[in-house]
Amino acid sequence: MNKTSKDSLEKPLPTPDGDSQVFWDGLKKGELLLQHCDDCGHVQYYQQRICRQCQSVNLQHKAASGRGTIHSFSVVYRAPGPAFKEDVPYAVLLIDLEEGPRMISSLVGKDFNALDFDIPVKLKTIRVADEICLPCFELTIS
Amino acid sequence: MANSLRGKVAIVGVGQSPTGRVPGRSPLDLTAEATLNALADANMEKAEIDGVLTGNAFASSFHRFSVALSEYLNIQPSYSNTLQVSGATAGAAVNTAAAAIHSGLADTVLVACGDSLLTGMTPDMAMRAMTESRDQQYEMPFGIPVANTFAMTAHRHMKEYGTTSEQMAQVAVTFREHASRTPGAQKTELITVDDVINSKMVSSPYRKLDCSLISDGAAALILTSAERALDYTETPIYILGGGEYYSHEHIFLMPELTQTGAVNSAQKAYEMAGVTAADIDVAGIYDCFTGTVLMMLEDLGFCKKGESGSFVEDGQMTYGGQIPTNTHGGMLSYAHPGIPAAWFHFVEVVRQLRSSCGERQVDNAELGIVHTLGAGFSTQATTILGTQSTR
Repeated sequence: MNKTSKDSLEKPLPTPDGDSQVFWDGLKKGELLLQHCDDCGHVQYYQQRICRQCQSVNLQHKAASGRGTIHSFSVVYRAPGPAFKEDVPYAVLLIDLEEGPRMISSLVGKDFNALDFDIPVKLKTIRVADEICLPCFELTIS
Repeated sequence: MANSLRGKVAIVGVGQSPTGRVPGRSPLDLTAEATLNALADANMEKAEIDGVLTGNAFASSFHRFSVALSEYLNIQPSYSNTLQVSGATAGAAVNTAAAAIHSGLADTVLVACGDSLLTGMTPDMAMRAMTESRDQQYEMPFGIPVANTFAMTAHRHMKEYGTTSEQMAQVAVTFREHASRTPGAQKTELITVDDVINSKMVSSPYRKLDCSLISDGAAALILTSAERALDYTETPIYILGGGEYYSHEHIFLMPELTQTGAVNSAQKAYEMAGVTAADIDVAGIYDCFTGTVLMMLEDLGFCKKGESGSFVEDGQMTYGGQIPTNTHGGMLSYAHPGIPAAWFHFVEVVRQLRSSCGERQVDNAELGIVHTLGAGFSTQATTILGTQSTR
């Protein structure tokens, strides 16, 4: 059995597809795009051709305000593979965006003691490759 | 329910390979050994198998594990598939095998799975195998292992219902007690709630001893029609009900973090079987993490929402309690070879219903439930099993 895997040292990067290219392009401009349905008003994360509520194709991409709250979180101490070993510990967040949708993200920084449920956070995009910026979040200092 | 599987199909053979640390054995080798043991248990020749369902093995390069296994055993089934619904594959495979037999697609189906996550792969590769099941665009770039999806649901459960780390730890303590009576269990040394609380944090709120093991091993089940079942065994264990539910793919689209699709899969299975949670004598519940079991005790109907922590602290999940669960020790203490892990829950519940568990036998076990799940509660499969007298 092969004990080493070269790609296990590389962090997984998204490969934008026909549904998601616009989303990753938006992030390069600092915008977190959500899809708003013209027909039923549903707001969705992530990008796809049809509304998940009414199947309409009349969807508009609109930038989110970037404000949200933490619905749940977990601080990762055991890295999921060698690529994340240097990052641990880091906090993964489930964010409820102001517009309604929930998304997975991670915390900028390591202020884990300040983490709590239902507290405000704001978007901060982080460039991880030439063509890819990730939508991360930082705690909102009140 | 227009059509029902109730009592139409039975498990007539169960078998397993050695489990725990089993170096130098490939996933196919382990699965073949489990199969031969299941055939012996059923007093059956391999030529009688005309259907094969498996999950996939991370330490094997075969994409069609069910087809590769058939070749390894030199059998040529007329029905075969390799299912992929993560941890729920065991339950889904049993339900699907029963449906195939009931519909006439096959007469006798082997449902088997094996992997060598512990010695066939490095720990990092095993972990990576788990992370590759998360979406590479919207989840994995943030470094979200599958453990993390379960951790976030448990964390929110603590917030909403006041569930404590000590209550979660009690799940690990109870299953370790169970494993201490089970021959072949990987971990048998008794632990305390403090041991769990003092173990290293993995993904908060889960510590090392809240997490299931990494193991090698395989298990196999042989199913046939109720008409044929008594030709093979005096104690067929009947499929009384099956139900599944697939509520989401991404953890962020889980409708509620603290209530899962197990409510729906169990409802369907109970309805088909004509029983309720109160009727069940013994349970096998997928226990990838301690908090997972707490939420399942609620969603399968054994206690009220939010009350699972005190339910477990009160001893309701062990001998003498309401629902003795994972009497073999589960994935937390018996073995967790990946996708095959939940096959052992089936093997144990079948053995309990056959009254063949010796010192770990649950008194008067006639009705059992096996609930398997996976991928951050995305996939749920429930199966109700019963003895001849419940059919």
